[in-house]
Amino acid sequence: MEEIEQIRERKRQEMMKGGSQGADWPAEPVEISDATFNDFIKKYPTVLVDCWAPWCGPCRMMSPVIDGLAKEMKGQVAFGKLNTDENSKTSMRFQIEAIPTLLVFKDGEMVERLVGARPKDDLSRRLKARL
Amino acid sequence: MEADITIIGLGPAGLQAAIHASRKKVKVVAVGKSDNSSLNKAEVENYLGIPSMMGPEILRIGREQAKGFGAELFEEDVIKLAKEGDDFVTVTDQDREIRSRAVILAMGISRAKLNVPGEKEYLGRGVSYCASCDAGFFKGRPVAVIGEESEAAESAALLTEYASKVYWVHRGLKVSQHMLDKVKRTPVEIVEGKPVRIVGEQTVTGLELEGRKLDVNGVFIALGAKGSAELALEVGVLPDPSGKITVNEECRTEMEMVYACGDVTGTPWQLARAVGQGCVAGDSAAKAVRQGR
Repeated sequence: MEEIEQIRERKRQEMMKGGSQGADWPAEPVEISDATFNDFIKKYPTVLVDCWAPWCGPCRMMSPVIDGLAKEMKGQVAFGKLNTDENSKTSMRFQIEAIPTLLVFKDGEMVERLVGARPKDDLSRRLKARL
Repeated sequence: MEADITIIGLGPAGLQAAIHASRKKVKVVAVGKSDNSSLNKAEVENYLGIPSMMGPEILRIGREQAKGFGAELFEEDVIKLAKEGDDFVTVTDQDREIRSRAVILAMGISRAKLNVPGEKEYLGRGVSYCASCDAGFFKGRPVAVIGEESEAAESAALLTEYASKVYWVHRGLKVSQHMLDKVKRTPVEIVEGKPVRIVGEQTVTGLELEGRKLDVNGVFIALGAKGSAELALEVGVLPDPSGKITVNEECRTEMEMVYACGDVTGTPWQLARAVGQGCVAGDSAAKAVRQGR
């Protein structure tokens, strides 16, 4: 078991160094926009984008969950926040009609779309399955 | 009107809080709809000292007890809760405004889904449970709101500011005249009918009722009253994503003078837990109000 853990850690370190073009992994959600969206989802192998708006109550309820997971999953998943009110181009591209909507990308391709607030454990489990 | 404590919810947690707070010589006003308590549909067999009793009977006795100790009860939905200076202002669907020093959130957890085909499939692609969150995505497009009570009325009125057409679909309205008048002053079309299916392609294109189809791009499901999470957020309390409100051993939330009890604070959703927490919340809120005098 210990050996497996060591291999896992080594892989993780490798990923952090070169697996994503040497990108610095953020430990907190990154504010993204229509202009930076494409670059962001391609910069990291696994990305979650939280589509939200300031007036949305369930979005505010999700905020501590996203912040916590960004910290815990640093080096595995990069977290972005997209304000749908200010970034209608991306919102329309992904046909977002309810918030919060969480979009999960793997190597730049959308692989999961989750609508509504959900517990941290559930989100963490879904993300780990995508690593 | 003025009060020391406003209790939101007339289920077992709210009524027990009303009983305990009233006995501490503070002015208590409790608002909500007892009929919407989950206890109203239950037969109780697992409460200490009660081998078997119907939920509505427990609620009826509880209301009388609370009134007997001096609490004022109003069978009205709360549509707005706000903090103004040191006070909390609660507004009901009868346009009643209650100003108080403390508030106890005891409105239970809504588990209402419409349960029609298409509801789950189109969630986030036209189906929404939150008009205030998602109205902006339907600018210039037709929508339907489904529900019989105050949340549906509020949602329909709000959506007229965005959508090209708003249908309010219901199966027998249960709103106050005040709310109905408010909606009737807007261009909302009120349609009585039973929703049977939400249809679409990539996104929603229609709502099928028995014998009629509405061509809409959005379907807002707004059953019951305003949800506990939304009301909590209005006074700065942040529930977790499941809607659960965290409280301390005094049943106080993260905000001063805001207490919560019963199903809103977590499981098990049981009468025994609800009344236990109602007792603590009522006592704690009354103590805090008296200390602040």
